[in-house]
Amino acid sequence: MSRFARRLANNFGGGSGLLGAVIVLTLLVLAVGAPWIAPRDPLQVDIVNQMQEPGPGFWFGTDQSGRDVLSRVIWGARASISVAAVAVVIGMAGGVSLGLIAGFFRGGWIEQITMRFLEAIAAIPILIWAIALVGIFGVGDGHWGPFTLGSELKLSMLLGVLYIPTLARVTYTTAAVESQAYYVLARRLQGTSSPRIILSDVLPNCLSPVIVQSTLLLAIGIVIEASVSFVGLGVQPPTPSWGNMLADARNYLLSGDWWLSVFPGAAISLSVVGFNLLGDGLRDRLDPRHATAALAT
Amino acid sequence: MTPTPLLQIDGLHVAFGARDRWREVVRGVDLRLLPGEVVGLVGESGSGKSLTALSIMRLLPPGARISSGRITFAGTDLAILRNRAVNARRGRDIGMIFQDPLTALNPAIPVGRQIVDSLRTHQQTGRKAAWARAVELLDLVGIHRPAERVHAYPHELSGGMRQRVMTALAVCNDPKLLIADEPTTALDVTVQAQVIAMLDRIRRELGIAVLFISHNLDLVAGIVDRVSVMYAGRVVESGAVEDVFDTPQHPYTRQLLRCIPRLDGQTGPMPTIPGLPPRLGTALPGCAFASRCQVVQARCRVETPPIRRRDGHLSACWDASA
Amino acid sequence: MAALFLRRAGLSLLSLLLVSLVLFVLTRSIPDSPARIVLGEDATAAAMAQFDRDHGLDRPILVQYGRWLEGIVLHGDLGTSFTTGLRMNRQVAATLPVTLELVIVAFAVSIVISLALGTLAAVLRDSVVDYGARLIAVLGVSVPGFWLAIVLIIFFAVDRDWFPPGGIAPLAKDWREHLRSIALPSFCLGVFYMAVLTRMTRSSLLDVLGLDYMRTARASGLRAGRVLAYALRNALVPVVTIAGMSFGHMFGWALIIEQVFNIDGLSRALLTAIQMRDYAMVQAVVMVFTFVFVIANLCADMLNASLNPRLASPA
Repeated sequence: MSRFARRLANNFGGGSGLLGAVIVLTLLVLAVGAPWIAPRDPLQVDIVNQMQEPGPGFWFGTDQSGRDVLSRVIWGARASISVAAVAVVIGMAGGVSLGLIAGFFRGGWIEQITMRFLEAIAAIPILIWAIALVGIFGVGDGHWGPFTLGSELKLSMLLGVLYIPTLARVTYTTAAVESQAYYVLARRLQGTSSPRIILSDVLPNCLSPVIVQSTLLLAIGIVIEASVSFVGLGVQPPTPSWGNMLADARNYLLSGDWWLSVFPGAAISLSVVGFNLLGDGLRDRLDPRHATAALAT
Repeated sequence: MTPTPLLQIDGLHVAFGARDRWREVVRGVDLRLLPGEVVGLVGESGSGKSLTALSIMRLLPPGARISSGRITFAGTDLAILRNRAVNARRGRDIGMIFQDPLTALNPAIPVGRQIVDSLRTHQQTGRKAAWARAVELLDLVGIHRPAERVHAYPHELSGGMRQRVMTALAVCNDPKLLIADEPTTALDVTVQAQVIAMLDRIRRELGIAVLFISHNLDLVAGIVDRVSVMYAGRVVESGAVEDVFDTPQHPYTRQLLRCIPRLDGQTGPMPTIPGLPPRLGTALPGCAFASRCQVVQARCRVETPPIRRRDGHLSACWDASA
Repeated sequence: MAALFLRRAGLSLLSLLLVSLVLFVLTRSIPDSPARIVLGEDATAAAMAQFDRDHGLDRPILVQYGRWLEGIVLHGDLGTSFTTGLRMNRQVAATLPVTLELVIVAFAVSIVISLALGTLAAVLRDSVVDYGARLIAVLGVSVPGFWLAIVLIIFFAVDRDWFPPGGIAPLAKDWREHLRSIALPSFCLGVFYMAVLTRMTRSSLLDVLGLDYMRTARASGLRAGRVLAYALRNALVPVVTIAGMSFGHMFGWALIIEQVFNIDGLSRALLTAIQMRDYAMVQAVVMVFTFVFVIANLCADMLNASLNPRLASPA
């Protein structure tokens, strides 16, 4: 391998990490560039060409309404990635803040109450919470007074809130340890205000585990979005999401139209592999001693 | 008439590495132990003393191997024996105690059970008899209320008690040789003395030969008959402990003895040996101590010094004085 | 040990209560009230008020919560759904055993395979077995269970006739058919966790094998089998913890798998409830899930404490 390639690989914690990064990058490109990359309009119905097998005109075939599966898979990337990404951003914002506060002000009631409450929430698997909350708040677009939230946005907000306990726990463990360090004590003695210490000294040390965990949560987000959409509670048709494409495909399982399910599912699997490899690679790079696996579905 | 040695190590070389990149860490060690004898193996960290000891029982860490040499124990060369045959001797003919008793005992299993398992592996004992023997052994090593303590977990015992337990575990099948790898390093000074006393008593009562490894020359002097000093993978001096202390032949040994703190009115800065020991595994022409030696000659840096004997007192040095 | 059990049970109880409280508050605070859902859009205010009185929905939230809690704790009764009027215990009892069996079979098979595979991979490090196990683990973790289900259905049930494409044949009728019909769903359900547990077992065992006390075990001349047992006593601790969590999580994923295979389990009850805006049922089913999850974790904790008594001392 050339020297450049080797150094690049090292940045991502190894060859597999680099592979993960490449996959993730491809995904991002597809998601962002869907309007320009997809060969056809994903919503365009074309009865004449319905249920075409994959071939030169339609590389991934067409579905029961004649819509191009390839284009729908590409646009599906946009739905999946955006839900997962927004969820992670919300989770980071809330989780890191809570974790920093709980970790810094140790031994107080703030810490106890926060962590206990978050633990209780985290006691239930995210999938169940997601389904339950979607069930309670309703599927489809949400109307809160004058605002309308698309079904995707609603789902990502729910997921984001559900990510908060995990990211808070990860931040908390590092913040608690760092807050006891001598250099923090020194800053306190200098009279630096707590918020400034937290932001400039404690936070940077928490970033590595948070980044690793976030990458893994992105993978989980994609699967959860797909699962929730699969049972009809997530992204609503006709907007393509890999999950609801699989739900459609299920109706045609027994008639042998395999391309309806294989391609969206392969996309999900590939994305998950990519994020997992990237996350593992980053973990090796940023914190080689970290032996615990992330299990948060 | 020289009695047959119980353990004889000839030209032991141990190297770390993989495939074609090997670095030698033990570079030709000779050692001998007579039955019932107590021999000390002394050296600083990185001198290769622990690896020498681990080689005897073929317990080298992954990545290390015996590249050449003979380890003759009771007539058999352990260095080339099959692992199963070596395993039959571990815990039965040779016992070993390690440096940190907290990490060296399985935290999930009661101490008595660990002894019982060793007993039942090597002897045809029933469960009850084995547990009874375990209690006796705990008593032998000086643990109070052994019948209760036999069910304790390692974390419930103090450091000194754990070391006694490890000793009981190592001698439970009446081995002929006990290897003690820095048994007191991880203990408080007061406890050190107790453990040394216990080891001395045990070996006398059971007639076991002991190979005592330490970085503390002063400490071993109290218990051993003979001592070998190692530096950078080689034995640089070896002999009866009184001889080595009274008339050290090797510059390194002399420096070491000078460094021992004294309580009889010594004032002024404490002496040290200038410089650092060579990095593990670096190939060294000539004498490894040359860069720190006070009587170094030109040939020391180029030619490996020969072993000179004088009445059982060996040293590896070009310097002919003393 | 008893002290540990009480503490953990107490914490679990606290979790359950907190979750139930959150659910209760959430379901009572959405804009659409049960009255409106049942009676329709153009129900009169009087009719809705009467509805609320009939179902005790006009009382303060805490009182409602108290009565609901009392029903569950003292009588094991999940109550009656406002929307359907059916007793929820019965609905749950009809569907819970199906899901439970599915999860138990998946869990049991996963555990056995992952322990065996993980141990082999660790002991035969860097061998073909090791690489194979790691490859299977990575794939198993990445392929979503429900997609695997679809692919396998196509492959085994449509193209061939080895397994039925859906539904579970009742045990009473033909145990062979029953097994055939449960094979694919439980496999798809268990694959992910089998992969996770294999990785966990392997890495945990590798960590332990390198520790000092394993060297002491070898120095005692213990035989290979006993040395392995010595290692596993310690290595299995994190595995047991994750396995406990996995059981609860599997319960959640069973929802999805059931939908793929058209199985009449708890998922049907839950999704129907969601469709019909039957919040009371949604809450009841989620509470059942929570309960199973908490019990599984509690069992895992107690098993760990017996494996490794250092955990039993209050710390």
